[in-house]
Amino acid sequence: MVDYEVMVGNKACAVACKLARVNVAAAFPITPQTSITEYLSELYASGEMPGFEFVNCEGELPAQVIVNNAALVGARAFTCTAGPGLQYMHHPMASTAGGRCPLVMAVVHRGIKSMQPDHSDLMSQQWTGWIHLYVENAQEILDTIIMGYKIGEDARVRLPVAVGYDGYVLSYTAEPVEIPPQEMVDKFLPPYKPPRSLIYDDPEASIGRGGGFRSGDPNYAWMMHNEGALNAEEVIKEVFAEWAKLTGRKYGTGMVEEYKTEGADVVITAMGTVAGSAAAAIDKLWKDGKKVGLVKIRSFLPFPRADFQRIAKNVQAIGVFDRSLQPGMGGPSYREIKNTLYDSNVHPVVAGFVGGLSGKEVTVKNFVDLGEKTLEYAKAKKADAHPIWV
Amino acid sequence: MIEIRLHGRGGQGAVTASRIIAAAAFEDGLYSQAIPMYGTERRGAPLTAYVRIDNVRVRERELVHTPDYSICFDEFISMNQTIANSMKPGGIVLANSKFKPEELPLAGDIKIACVDATGIAIKHLGRPITNTAILGAFCKLCPEVSLKGVEKAIYKYFPGRVGDMNVAAARASYEQVTDLITAKNKEPPKQVEEIVSGGYGALKDVSGWRVFEPVIDEEKCIGCKTCWIYCPEAALEWTANNKPAMISRACKGCGVCANECPVKAIEMVRVQVKK
Amino acid sequence: MSERMTRAQVPLEEGIIFPGSTCQGCGAAMAARLTFKVMGPNVIRHGIPCCPDQSSKSPSTGSVFEGAGPSLTGTSRALKALGRTDIKAVGFFGDGGVYDISFGGLMAAAQRNENALVICKDNEAYMNTGGQHSGGTPKYAETTTDQVGPNSRGNKFHKIRAAFAFAALGVPYIATASVAFPEDLMAKVKYAKDIEGFRVILIQTPCPVGWRFDPAKTIEVARSAVQSGMWPLYEIENGSTFKLNYKPKELKPITEYLKPQARFRHMTETEINEMQTYTNQRWEEVLRADEAKRLTF
Repeated sequence: MVDYEVMVGNKACAVACKLARVNVAAAFPITPQTSITEYLSELYASGEMPGFEFVNCEGELPAQVIVNNAALVGARAFTCTAGPGLQYMHHPMASTAGGRCPLVMAVVHRGIKSMQPDHSDLMSQQWTGWIHLYVENAQEILDTIIMGYKIGEDARVRLPVAVGYDGYVLSYTAEPVEIPPQEMVDKFLPPYKPPRSLIYDDPEASIGRGGGFRSGDPNYAWMMHNEGALNAEEVIKEVFAEWAKLTGRKYGTGMVEEYKTEGADVVITAMGTVAGSAAAAIDKLWKDGKKVGLVKIRSFLPFPRADFQRIAKNVQAIGVFDRSLQPGMGGPSYREIKNTLYDSNVHPVVAGFVGGLSGKEVTVKNFVDLGEKTLEYAKAKKADAHPIWV
Repeated sequence: MIEIRLHGRGGQGAVTASRIIAAAAFEDGLYSQAIPMYGTERRGAPLTAYVRIDNVRVRERELVHTPDYSICFDEFISMNQTIANSMKPGGIVLANSKFKPEELPLAGDIKIACVDATGIAIKHLGRPITNTAILGAFCKLCPEVSLKGVEKAIYKYFPGRVGDMNVAAARASYEQVTDLITAKNKEPPKQVEEIVSGGYGALKDVSGWRVFEPVIDEEKCIGCKTCWIYCPEAALEWTANNKPAMISRACKGCGVCANECPVKAIEMVRVQVKK
Repeated sequence: MSERMTRAQVPLEEGIIFPGSTCQGCGAAMAARLTFKVMGPNVIRHGIPCCPDQSSKSPSTGSVFEGAGPSLTGTSRALKALGRTDIKAVGFFGDGGVYDISFGGLMAAAQRNENALVICKDNEAYMNTGGQHSGGTPKYAETTTDQVGPNSRGNKFHKIRAAFAFAALGVPYIATASVAFPEDLMAKVKYAKDIEGFRVILIQTPCPVGWRFDPAKTIEVARSAVQSGMWPLYEIENGSTFKLNYKPKELKPITEYLKPQARFRHMTETEINEMQTYTNQRWEEVLRADEAKRLTF
């Protein structure tokens, strides 16, 4: 029996935790993530989740350490945060990924210079070694949190997964969400069984403490970590295909979701909620006879290299929209796409747009302009200097 | 470029010695670089440090892998082939030892000289801290570093009266160092006992850390287990006849057992360096 | 409260894998050896950056420096969620961790009464990195960041009395212990390990390198700290019930404790007198609490 409910993004996130049978959740409230912690508290109070521990802890950094250790013990763990909270969490995030602890964290985007959303919070965590997924709507939050466990826990990956979604416009916006049946999720996502856990039923077994000064090649752990992150692409595609079969909900390849790219002269890209407005702009552009497609980047880390090398073959220009900017360096997805195409034998014009920073609204009109500009750049075979402000 | 490797023990001043050599070379108009072994230093644990000397600014930033000189500050470690390994052909090993150079069990395409730095240090400093005591001998073997330069450098690290004492020790070792001999055995023995150094976690064997070791007088021992319970390493085994026995691989020679024994049945005896 | 233990009751078996990588005469190594003699199986050991002490025969994990309280929380909650409450979460941390960088996290874990045992080996500075000032450093002690010179007399602040901070949170069990009193230390660990809730044992572990004394004198120094009232041995239950475990008829002067340690060498008579008065006042407090059998301050 399929159940529907009109709910806000943060509730969809909490419902996903319940469906994934999370054992330990730890979080510190921060706007616009706060209501996830309230929903988790409600779930705990309801007694509907046996074997669930919810820790109201004293900050984001402790929250990350708590879920890290819970995962080391063998529990399925969850945490959630936003903007500055994510930055406070930075230090132990590297331990969680370095310790190869697959857990899921919801990052409810809040800019690092403002209360309002942009992607600068999660973008600034690239070096911690997590898998980064970006989602567009409440349904996608629910689906991706559940799938996040399956991706992260896969033996080929064994990495924590961050699911990013924009604050306010998604976290506090209510829309109908389909709640998959528990039995179906249970079948899709079996209980977490780590290959190594701190529970040793042999009391003589001893594992060393963390930290360096060990023999062997110090690069080795990094090599393995890198391999896990790259393997995630294959696993993401498999898991999304399986979920699509079960639910009928398809999110492109899982790495990217294309919209009207077939027969398009140029494509534009977007991540997160703004991809919805971008899609509306695409409809308008086609109606006016302008062949502009949309590529929604769902996985930023690992980056959909193969997808972009394929897409680049059929278009004259790519208009990249970034909702974050590293001052002096540029927009992250713009840089990644250019980097990716260097290894390809086709080199369409790549234009780097930046906008929506610190919660600045990005409208359908903005994307229409962006599409038209990209068409102009294709004709001129040259784009304006990056960043092109939106 | 001249590359030097120093072997010592945490607390003996090998790292300071490496800096004194580097400063001395600079006093003599050369460029230099003193590198401690990266990581943690534990009192008593064997360690290494390195020095490079050149007439241009040293740009290499790696450990010294094939030294021209190997200097050993510790009498016990001087008996270990480790100090003579991976030298440049014809490299020079300067060992702190009472023995003649031909009596040291060191092999390879190397030359060996000895100086009784411990004896010199006890005479001039009153303590067996051998770092400055061996540096005078080193100047004699290494033409690029002068005794005058070393003296100047020593005063930089130990001003005043302490400097005078250390300089006296360096001068004595300059006088007393033996002539260089060529090692008889060119091939090092296959089984080389590794020197266990510091770090984290459990170690296999720390017998090399010991300079003094407990000798138990079973006649005097009253079987009270005081020594046993206070040993930080569990290095005293409680035997069936109700007496303690040292576990050689685990004792670091701290002397807590002897200090705590209520009947003074334990004596800390200096470990004899055997040929 | 813990039950008295005799030397004959001390188990012969070791809970550590030795030798370890500590300096000669390391007090923390002694504390680890004694602790794990009585800890028993089914323990998950937690560490944060600190000096090495002794590896124990239990699974162990290391967390970030500020992660002492949260890492124990994560483990104990996961054990509860997975129905494995037979396994104990034990933390073995240094004074810098417990009193400085992890203090807030431990306070929060204590306030939540997480099911965890925290053991602090207190060597009164960051000895792993060469002896820098920590919240555990006593007043006037010289450390590498409290150097003595015309403008400085060493550490300016009194050592934190963390036991009373934890007591304010009403945790089930707090104790102080010393490596010079091994039976008392082991009795406390044995008692604390099976209590449910947050437990803390603070062990003073002299450091010959950082405190600058002969490594053979580690126990002598630790003993004089207790006998002079500088490190009283006591237990506090549920934030109130109090028991002083070692009550000499007369305290030894603190100079017996200070003299062998070069870190106090620069202290003037006035400074020593000030510390003596401070120590006496603190001792009076614990004596009064012991008489009343509850915390009276």
